[in-house]
Parts: sequence; C-alpha cells; structure tokens
Amino acid sequence: MEEKKIENDGKDIVLDVRDLRINIEMDEGTLTAVRGVNFSIKKGETLGLVGESGCGKSLTSKAILGINEKKCKTTGQIVFDTDGRGMVDLLSLSPKGKEIRQVRGKQISMVFQEPMVAFSPLYTIGNQINECTRLHITKDRKKSREISLEMMKKVGIANAEKRYDQYPHEFSGGMLQRALIAMALVCNPKLLIADEPTTALDVTIQAQILELMKELQKDLNMAILFITHDLGTVAAMCDRVAVMYLGKIVEIAPVKDIYAAPAHPYTQGLIGSVHKIGTKKEERLFSIEGTVPLALNLPPGCGFYERCGKRIEGVCNVKEPELTELSDGHAVACHLCGGCQGCAFGANSGEEAKKDAE
Amino acid sequence: MFIPTILIISFVVFFIMQLPKGDYVSSYIARMQAEGEVFTQEDIAALRAQYGLDKNWVMRYFDWVFKIITKGDFGYSFAYGRPVWSVIMDRLGITIAVSLTIMAFTYLVSIPIGIYSALHQYSPGDYIFTAIGFLGMATPNFLLAIILMYLSFTWTGDPLLGLFSNEMLQEGIHLYNFGEFLQRMIIPTIVIGTAGTCGVIRTVRAQMLDELSRQYALTARAKGVSEATIVYKYCLRAALNPVASGLAGSLSSIFSGSTISAIVMNLSIQGPVLYEALKTQDTYLAGTILMTQAVLVVIGTLLSDILLAWLDPRIRFERKRS
Ligand SMILES: Nc1ncnc2c1ncn2[C@@H]1O[C@H](COP(=O)(O)OP(=O)(O)OP(=O)(O)O)[C@@H](O)[C@H]1O
Ligand SMILES: [Mg+2]
Repeated sequence: MEEKKIENDGKDIVLDVRDLRINIEMDEGTLTAVRGVNFSIKKGETLGLVGESGCGKSLTSKAILGINEKKCKTTGQIVFDTDGRGMVDLLSLSPKGKEIRQVRGKQISMVFQEPMVAFSPLYTIGNQINECTRLHITKDRKKSREISLEMMKKVGIANAEKRYDQYPHEFSGGMLQRALIAMALVCNPKLLIADEPTTALDVTIQAQILELMKELQKDLNMAILFITHDLGTVAAMCDRVAVMYLGKIVEIAPVKDIYAAPAHPYTQGLIGSVHKIGTKKEERLFSIEGTVPLALNLPPGCGFYERCGKRIEGVCNVKEPELTELSDGHAVACHLCGGCQGCAFGANSGEEAKKDAE
Repeated sequence: MFIPTILIISFVVFFIMQLPKGDYVSSYIARMQAEGEVFTQEDIAALRAQYGLDKNWVMRYFDWVFKIITKGDFGYSFAYGRPVWSVIMDRLGITIAVSLTIMAFTYLVSIPIGIYSALHQYSPGDYIFTAIGFLGMATPNFLLAIILMYLSFTWTGDPLLGLFSNEMLQEGIHLYNFGEFLQRMIIPTIVIGTAGTCGVIRTVRAQMLDELSRQYALTARAKGVSEATIVYKYCLRAALNPVASGLAGSLSSIFSGSTISAIVMNLSIQGPVLYEALKTQDTYLAGTILMTQAVLVVIGTLLSDILLAWLDPRIRFERKRS
C-alpha cells in the first residue's frame, strides 16, 4: 500500500519510513520497541506522531537521523529525498559516516524535549548555533556568525548580539527552546523533527513556541514530524496524525478525520480523555485504564488487547491486525474496523471479523 | 585566604608535633643511653636550653613563626646540625622534579586510557585496562617497587636503586649522565605513578561515559557534528572537571605520600626525610616540611580552581556573582 503511494505522488514525498523495526537487546531478552512502522511525509506537511510514554516515538524519530545508541538494532528503510543525491535509504548509510552527517542538521534537524539539557553548558549559545552554520553553510567566520545571528532574531530572541555570547545557564527555558529551534533551522532543513518540543515549558510559552514553529514552517516551507503526548496540540499543529501504540502505528489519518471519526478503540480513548473538561492536565492526557505493557516477549494478537474495552476473544488475542485503509488517507489496525471499507467503527463489524479469522 | 590558611596549618602542625611524650633531647638521650653513655640532670637541662626546648611549645611556635617572617629563618635541624632550610634545599629540586614527572606520567597515561575505555566500553581493551588498573591499585607500592627492581636486576644486572649512581653523586648531574638519570626515574615513576593512574583512569572513564550519554551529545550528533568533535570538544572538557579538582590532592600526595616506596627505592626525595624527622622529633625540620606541603596544597588548590573556572563557565559565573 505504501509502495503504491510513492509511485503515485513520489515527487512530493520528503520522507518515507518503511517497515521500521527497532530491537533492543537487554539482559531480560529482546525488547521489540518499534515493530514495523510505516509512514511518509510530504513537502511542507506536518505529521503528528502521538502516543503514550514508551510507545517508541523517540526511538522512531532518532532512527531517522541514525542517532540511536548502538544497541538499538534497526531494520527497514528510511527513504529521504536528499539534496543532490535523490532518494536515499538513510538506514543504509554508516551512522558515523560523512554522508549521514551531511543530512543531519542540514536537511533533517531535530528539536528536543528538554531545552535545559540540550545545549552543552560549556560553550556559548552562539558558538553552538554557529557550529551548525559553519559545518553546513560556510566556513567564513564572519558570514556564518551573521547567518546565525539572523536566525536567532528570527526565532524571537531579543538582543541577539548580546545573547550570542551568553551561556545556556543565562537563558530561561523558553529562550533556550527558541535557541534550539534557531539551531535546528539555521541551515534551512527540509524536515524538522520536533520531539515533544514544548512539554518542558510553561503553558503560555508553549503556545508561543508552537506559533513560532508554524510561522517558520510557512517561511521556510519545510515538513515537520511533530511528536507529542498531547492531542490538543496536534489539532493546532498538524495536517495528519499517526497514533502509535506499543511500537506500531495503529491509526493514521488526516487531522479532521481523527477527531470526527476515530476508528481505533485506543484513539477513541485518547480523544475521549482530551474532551473531559475540568480535569487536571496529568489525568487528562491519558485516562485509558491500564498501562502500556513492556514490549518483551509479547503475546500474539493485538498489542492493545489487554486494555481494550471492545476486544473480541478468539480474534484479537490470536491475530495481530494489519493497517488497513478505511477511506482516503485514513488507515487503522483493528479487527473491529478492518475489512469493512468506509465504515467508521460499526457495532456489528466484530462478528464479521470473527468470521474472517475462522 | 592564602596566609591565614598557612598560619593555621602551621600552628596545627606544631601542636601535633609536640603531642607525643618527650622531645628531640629525650629521644636523643634514650639512644645515647642505649649505647652506654651516662647523663646527669644538668647535662639534660643544658642540652634542652641549647636547643631552645626549655620554653613551652606555644612560645617556641611564635618564636619560630616570627623568625620565618622576619629573617626567613626556618629554625635548626637537631638531627642534621644544620639550618632546616639548607636540609630541605638539598632535596627540594629533585623532589619537585620527581613529583612533576610522576604527575605528568599519571595524567598523560591515564587520561587517554580513560577516554579509550569509555569509547570502547566492554571491549577487550577496556577489560584489559580495567584489570591492570585494579591490579595496580591493589598492589602495595613498595611491593611493586621490589618486584620491578628485582626484574631490572635479573635483566640488566642493576636494580637501579636510587635516583643517582655513585658516579653521579661524585660528579653531579651533567648532560652526559642525564640519560642514566632518566633511566633511574623509570621505576619510581611507574611505582608511584600507577597508584594515581588507576584512580584517574576510573574517574575519566566513568565521567566520559556519563557525558557521552548526556542529551547535549545527542543534540550535537543530530546537527551533524563528527564523533571526534563530540568527544573532544564537548565530553572530554566536561569529564575533566573532577580530574582537575583532584589535582591539588595529587600534587601533595606525590610529594609526601610515597615515603615507603621512596625508602624502599632509596630515592633522595623529601618523604624519607620527613619520616626520619618525625621519628626523632626533629620539630623544626618536620614542621617546615609539613608546611611546605601545606603551601603546595594551597597552590595546587589555586591551580585547580583556575583550571576548573577555565573548563566550566558556570563556575566562572558563580564567582562573578559572589
Ligand atoms: N536506550 C534504551 N535502552 C533500553 N530501552 C530503551 C532505550 N531507549 C528506549 N527504550 C525503551 O524503548 C521504548 C520506547 O522508548 P521511546 O523513548 O521511543 O518512547 P517514547 O514514545 O518517546 O516515550 P516518551 O513519550 O516518554 O518520550 C520504551 O519502552 C523504552 O523503555
Ligand atoms: Mg520520547
């Protein structure tokens, strides 16, 4: 299915992740942290990646840049539309080699969750932003400094000349996140990966940062992979959403459809919990009962089985559901919804699924 | 800060020196009596007066400090029958040379090994260095000294005892026998150096591993920085922090802590002199040596503070604020 899409509008696709799997060897056994993830991002598009803590969002995003630890064994394909060399499978590049380093920071860059620790405390902010500029744009000190300063101004750092020579500990969290965004964008990348860029910040500052990212996206015409816990920010930021559970994408759809007709019981749970008004933020985020199991020696069947209110014994715990297209661009991996095209979760589709399984 | 610290240290040193029963005269008389000499009470009192030991120790302390400040006179060594300063000067140069060599050896060997071990964690090389490290830490220095001297004797017929050969002692150190002097430095350097080396290796390795797993290393990698830059520009500088703060300690411990090895290897450095002086209650000599060491610790601390401030801007920042 993914293959076909690429053939159809291959020109627009910036990144295409195919059957990405990440296994981590541990003393207790192999942790299957990411279990066959497929998605693609078009030019200028924002794809949201949502899911509970530990479902593999960060591993997936770091795999794109090839910066996971060595013990994370990664397979699959990460096809990226590189400058000059066309479509290249980034996974086939040596993770310490020159080719991938010319992609990192220049064509794909990343903004991390905790700006407070994302900079080295030993060098000035200017030094660290400028390092990126000098690596990828120009070796000329004066020019690269100018470019870096300009980007600092663009992300709303007041007094940029003075700030340039200050150290991270002299910055507030919000300012650091702006600086981190400046560093990520200074080389004008095609794809920005934002891994929960606002989770560590105050609510008012969160809104400012999101606004800033949207503006800059328009200016620079880049695609964003936006990772978050929070379905609220997804609605504000994204064109499409992929919902991840236990190392798999269980539902992927345009933002409108996800809210209007969530097909996977897990997505329904997420959206239901967002709309409960008046609860505290922590509770609000994920109030689906139970916890994510650790992906060690997983039983067969659907990963959500244990927590699912609509599970069918003998179906859902036997066979793992495949990602199936419901309508244009809306796919879901659930036995209840698979097979009946165009149906937004019908009550009796379970019976059909049972028949299918037999 | 500098001067009060040293005054307090010198006072404490002097206080401790007089704690054991007796003084230089009583231990001197005990030795003489053992050899059959007879002393009357008057003889003893005369001896005490001659050495200035008839006054109480606080008086003597102030006398001593006063003379140091006004005349640069550190007192008189009973055992050597010479001014303390000349006894110390005999060995000061060589002691500093030996200490600095050993320190350089320690850091030049251990920092690269620590980095290697961290970058190749759980590799055969890492295991080998770890094993050697623990072995080195667990082996007493004097034992290592004896083993190495034995090996040197069986291989070359010369145990390389002492820093100077007999000829050197007669002719002094010149260019033509400097090579031999260096050769004679090898065993002491290894013996005294390894103890510190292992510690520094462990510290650097642990720190490097810690720094390499920090978020900022990942950020740097994500922007396309090479591994070498990550290691040397970012992580190493942060990892050296505890090493720099350990500098003060190692400076003084090399100066004094290697007494036993120095005795075993017959090294003409300060440690054995201090040991003798303490044994015979040669107050001024011992006091002066201890004070030189205190001064060295203070200087070392100062140096390591400067180094720390250079390594870490946050420390600079705090200084400025306070
Ligand atoms: N270096 C590692 N060693 C062992 N397990 C790891 C490692 N990194 C991640 N994991 C495991 O892999 C799973 C996915 O981790 P990941 O960081 O991708 O989660 P996440 O979806 O980003 O969660 P969060 O929202 O908390 O950031 C988790 O169960 C985690 O425990
Ligand atoms: Mg994460």
